Amino acid sequence: MPSSTTDPGNSSPVRATRSRGLHGWRGFAFVVPYLALLILFGILPVLYALKLAFTKESGAWAGLQNFTHTATDYRFKPALVHVLLYTSVWLTLLILFVVTLALLLHGRASRASSTFRFLYYLPGALAGAASVLVWLFMLDPSVSPGSFLVHHVLRADLFVESIAPGKLPFIFAMIAFWTGAGGWVVVMYGALNTIPQELDDAARIDGAGPLTLALRVKLPLIRKWVAYMTILSFATGTQLFVEPQLVNQASLGMVPDTWSSNQLGYQLAFRYADFNSAAAISVDLLAIGLLGAVVIITRTGLFKADD
Amino acid sequence: MKQRRLWSAAVVVMALALVGACGGSGGGSSDKADVTVWVDAARLPVAKAYQKEHPDVKMDIVTFDGDGNGATTLQTKIQLWNRSGKGWPDVIFSEQVNDPIWMARKPFEFAAPLEDLIPEEVRSQWPETSTAQCTVDGKQYCVQDNLAQVVLWVNQKKMDEFGYTVPTTWQDWAALGEKVATEHPGYIVGNIGDSFSHWIYLWGNQCPLQQLDGEDLKIDAADEHCTRTASLLDPLIENGTLPPLSVFTPDFAQQYGGDDDKVLLMPGPSWYAQAVFDDALHVPAGEMTAAAPLQWEDEPVVTGQVGGGPWIISRHAKDSKAAADFVIWATTEFNPTGEGEDARPGYPAYAPLATKWLEALSANAYFASDPAPALQAGADEVWDGWSLVTYPDQPVWSDTVVTKLVAGDSLSSLLQPFGDALTDAAEAAGYAVVDN
Repeated sequence: MPSSTTDPGNSSPVRATRSRGLHGWRGFAFVVPYLALLILFGILPVLYALKLAFTKESGAWAGLQNFTHTATDYRFKPALVHVLLYTSVWLTLLILFVVTLALLLHGRASRASSTFRFLYYLPGALAGAASVLVWLFMLDPSVSPGSFLVHHVLRADLFVESIAPGKLPFIFAMIAFWTGAGGWVVVMYGALNTIPQELDDAARIDGAGPLTLALRVKLPLIRKWVAYMTILSFATGTQLFVEPQLVNQASLGMVPDTWSSNQLGYQLAFRYADFNSAAAISVDLLAIGLLGAVVIITRTGLFKADD
Repeated sequence: MKQRRLWSAAVVVMALALVGACGGSGGGSSDKADVTVWVDAARLPVAKAYQKEHPDVKMDIVTFDGDGNGATTLQTKIQLWNRSGKGWPDVIFSEQVNDPIWMARKPFEFAAPLEDLIPEEVRSQWPETSTAQCTVDGKQYCVQDNLAQVVLWVNQKKMDEFGYTVPTTWQDWAALGEKVATEHPGYIVGNIGDSFSHWIYLWGNQCPLQQLDGEDLKIDAADEHCTRTASLLDPLIENGTLPPLSVFTPDFAQQYGGDDDKVLLMPGPSWYAQAVFDDALHVPAGEMTAAAPLQWEDEPVVTGQVGGGPWIISRHAKDSKAAADFVIWATTEFNPTGEGEDARPGYPAYAPLATKWLEALSANAYFASDPAPALQAGADEVWDGWSLVTYPDQPVWSDTVVTKLVAGDSLSSLLQPFGDALTDAAEAAGYAVVDN
């Protein structure tokens, strides 16, 4: 992600404008270890994928052949539709709830607030795959502790019905929300803490209630953090892999093993040994992620220094 | 965040592999081992027993999730081994009967032909249908561990109690299903929600959904054999005597298993006796037995198959002789009469061993009456018009049919979508598909 060197969480706006040059170099020292990993596990694989995507198995130039070949695959469109539907449901949930919860938390007294922050963060502390396994049990009405919810909200008496094809984008969005949102609530809370107390007080003196304060004062000030979250989450969402893969195995194939685009890439590489097509799909996903990032950055002015 | 997820998945997979390796390795290290074998949990005892009997052979035993449903564990591994040019195990047991087909071919090219490794007089003791399933382009690439012919499992106790006679044809069976629905609601005469149910009902009724003829693969869901079977099953699915549930789900065990079990009849493979009725459903002893496979009115008997896991020897094996020796021992000698941990999970494919296994089965007090004759009768009746192919068809069935049956659609209305989805999968795997 291009955001690494100018992470909005790195600096308070006041300090950044005062000594940008020096600060930039100091910042660089901090990101060097990350940079090494970024090159090793981020940039080099991307270059390798680009090379594979535009060449044939023999190494000869293939042009767009791999892209057209994968785009006409019968699984490509359904997978893309699944992923886009999932991403839109998940992003909406994420932005709405994370921002609302963070604003609510910030308005509370500090002791209650810290308890809640801890509680929100807790599900995210489970590793991704492990939390999906927990959800597999949660969704099975015969063993779920919340079986009445599964019965009434999902209208499912059987695990098979919980994971019916039409419900899947929503199920996956829910799993991802519960495992990922808590961390973001804490990040947003941190962002809210950077708002100077004087601004808060001034607004109160001017007669702003908690609602006006939250929506008119705090929300515009954490806009960049929301944009940052959206960019990262958009990329994560379109590259969905673990949830459908595990549900595919747990349901003995009732969820296809090519439900998401990333899974299709995985299957192409390892079942059909077609690494070039798999790379083409990865490049598609990279392009979608980059496009999303560019749109959000230009719309929100994320990297403008003098905000 | 994406990286974090992929990483956590990788960590889980690696942890599983490590646990598996430690669980079974018995101290052997991979660079010293003479034979590295990959087995599923059910085949772990045979590998351990071989190690015990042959202390001079250094064995490295790795367990993995041998089941398929399209899980690409083995394909992924073999691709990676092929790419890195090392790491291949010497012997693999797979629960997927079609695995040797792709293992023998490009791009995997993992399996070694057995003609030079296992003597002809040993190989000839496998039934012809079994050997045919291991043969790719005229060469034999595997030996099956067990046969998985479908028979009719019968709850003798309940059938007697209700005064029913055991059906011999699919028509009688369906008629009984209708009767059970009204006279004893809640009882079932089978189930159709497993990822392999099409092998029981469609393979067993000669529905041509996977028929190789030279290079052409015939997939014809509109064939009369398919449609007439679907019409026969639909009323039973609707009246609840043939539920679209999997026997391996907790729901199923809760609803139909236990001391007061509701399983009256169930067409299913030979290994159901222990794995399903005893272990999964806890049907009490003295109730179940096997009857001969059902036939279609007065047509000749043919049946389906669910499993028949093969042993495959790697063409990269450092010591092929030692690998072959292990496979021969595992399939022709290992413990036909064992109990508990050492029990053979299925009907041995190697005929002389099957005889001993059946004798032990006849004496087993779990069964209401001797299931051996029915199993033996079904052993050579697996329909040979269902070819094994490189792609997995189970996920296609689960995804396009089972999920829709659960939602209330009829099997008849799902046959064509199933055929179409199979065609897509076959073409993606490089087959030329014809429909008549």
